[in-house]
Amino acid sequence: MLDGEPLVRWRWLGDHFGYLADLTADHAVIALVPVLLALLLAVPLGLACARFPRMYQPLAAVFNVVYALPSLAVFVVLIPYTGLATRETVMVPLTCYALAVLLPTAVDGLRAVPEPVRQAATAMGYGPWRRLAAVELPASVPYLIGGLRVAAVSSISLAAVGALVGRGGLGYLFVDGFQRTFPTPILAGIALVALLALATDLLLVAARRVLAPWARGVAR
Amino acid sequence: MIRFEGAAKRHPDGTVAVRGLDLDVPAGRTTVLVGPSGCGKTTILRMVNRMVVPTAGRVLLDGADVASLPAARLRRGIGYVIQQAGLFPHRRVIDNVATVPRLLGWDRKRARARAAELLELVGLPPETARRYPAQLSGGQQQRVGVARALAADPPVLLMDEPFSAVDPLVRAGLQEELLRLQAELGKTVLFVTHDIEEAVRLGDRVVVLREHGEIAQLADPHTLLTAPADAGVAAFLGRDRGLRGLGLRPAGAVPLAALRPSYDAWELVLDQEGRPEHWRRGGERHPAPVFAPDRDSLRSALDAALLAPSGHAVAVDAEGRAVGTASRAAVVEALAAAGPVPGQVPHAGR
Repeated sequence: MLDGEPLVRWRWLGDHFGYLADLTADHAVIALVPVLLALLLAVPLGLACARFPRMYQPLAAVFNVVYALPSLAVFVVLIPYTGLATRETVMVPLTCYALAVLLPTAVDGLRAVPEPVRQAATAMGYGPWRRLAAVELPASVPYLIGGLRVAAVSSISLAAVGALVGRGGLGYLFVDGFQRTFPTPILAGIALVALLALATDLLLVAARRVLAPWARGVAR
Repeated sequence: MIRFEGAAKRHPDGTVAVRGLDLDVPAGRTTVLVGPSGCGKTTILRMVNRMVVPTAGRVLLDGADVASLPAARLRRGIGYVIQQAGLFPHRRVIDNVATVPRLLGWDRKRARARAAELLELVGLPPETARRYPAQLSGGQQQRVGVARALAADPPVLLMDEPFSAVDPLVRAGLQEELLRLQAELGKTVLFVTHDIEEAVRLGDRVVVLREHGEIAQLADPHTLLTAPADAGVAAFLGRDRGLRGLGLRPAGAVPLAALRPSYDAWELVLDQEGRPEHWRRGGERHPAPVFAPDRDSLRSALDAALLAPSGHAVAVDAEGRAVGTASRAAVVEALAAAGPVPGQVPHAGR
């Protein structure tokens, strides 16, 4: 770090307000669209796994292996297919990572419905698919949202690494700061990533209150 | 009517749950299956709505083999109540109760109106309708479970230990409520319990099972208590059978004496409406135990006579006004006069 360079140049922040807002918005899209895509995949896959339990272990194994891969390596491997500096290079692996979190939560949530509830539903004349859709799925919403909170925060953090392959919203501030030995953008990036994660988490907690009001303060 | 014809259930691992059951469950009455755990009573119950498919024999519902009907349609016509109620946690009470009518294609408004009627029928205050199941007590949840089972007015009601998970006081209330409902609705009830007291209290007929779903005895509660088929049934019935049998005898047979100013120095003090307040002797006061001749059992009358310091049970009418008294001797006289065959028996009230 250069002598005399302050940790944070407040003026720089003021001058680049619009730029920082753009990067934050970009980061939110890159990080959270994959989570939404993963949710759209996790629900039908989870329902299928709940209906046909044998599917679950192999699927879970695949996504666990994907989850174990270092993100940067996956970004680099994807470049020949998606091109450098395209959003897809970052968003495809992020979708897989989110799915690796959401699929088990979806399946666990569907399975967590108490057996008497399941039996009562069957005894009232719900077929297996209809019961999954009308009883187990809505009853598993609190679980799903719990999984979404983990997946969203981890995706926001991972998306920053995408800057190393040319995309990555707020991650660009880290690359920029290191190259110029200029700490202000680095600290701003850290703060904005944390703020974005916090805001997303609060939004999901609010969503849980709206979508599953019955789960509030329920111990079981 | 439900008829079991050699209905058997053998599990894939070879163990036999039910060896082969022949049983007629009459329409409009309550039949209780009672037996130790593992005797196959729940399996038998579930054969009726095809939650369990017999490996041999068949089950007929009003003459039709239940296997010949589509499972979903069959089940929508059979109410089912289980131990933990099994309410849908994500639906409000009213929508839990409206489930089967909605499945049958009723519109939401009509289904909810019906659900509201049922909540009232099972004695739940209207404000419970908007709550979620987790906000209710265990006893309330069970009531909702019963309301939900009755929502589409099914002729048959299957109840699998519905009151076993609630505390004794609440259980007694729920049993009372079921007797009242059944007197009003006349459903074909098949009720499973391991509690012989509950069986004797609720059943028009009691089927005592031993293992593999074999019938040890099938009888009305009074016959069961007074004439158990064998030593095994007698042991299962437990102690004090004779005394408990009094709970099935109406107290109406007790001869009543007119109220007197004093009973061996004890005076019965009434309030302004004529309801007994207490027994008084000098400065001493004791509560005045009462029984209602038209509702209570001989057991209640005897109990009241034994507890009264004066030795006289006070008979009261529906409004709780004293209408007469019965001495211990008078109650015993009624006991002696009671023949072995029960007439129209009230259930042990309390």
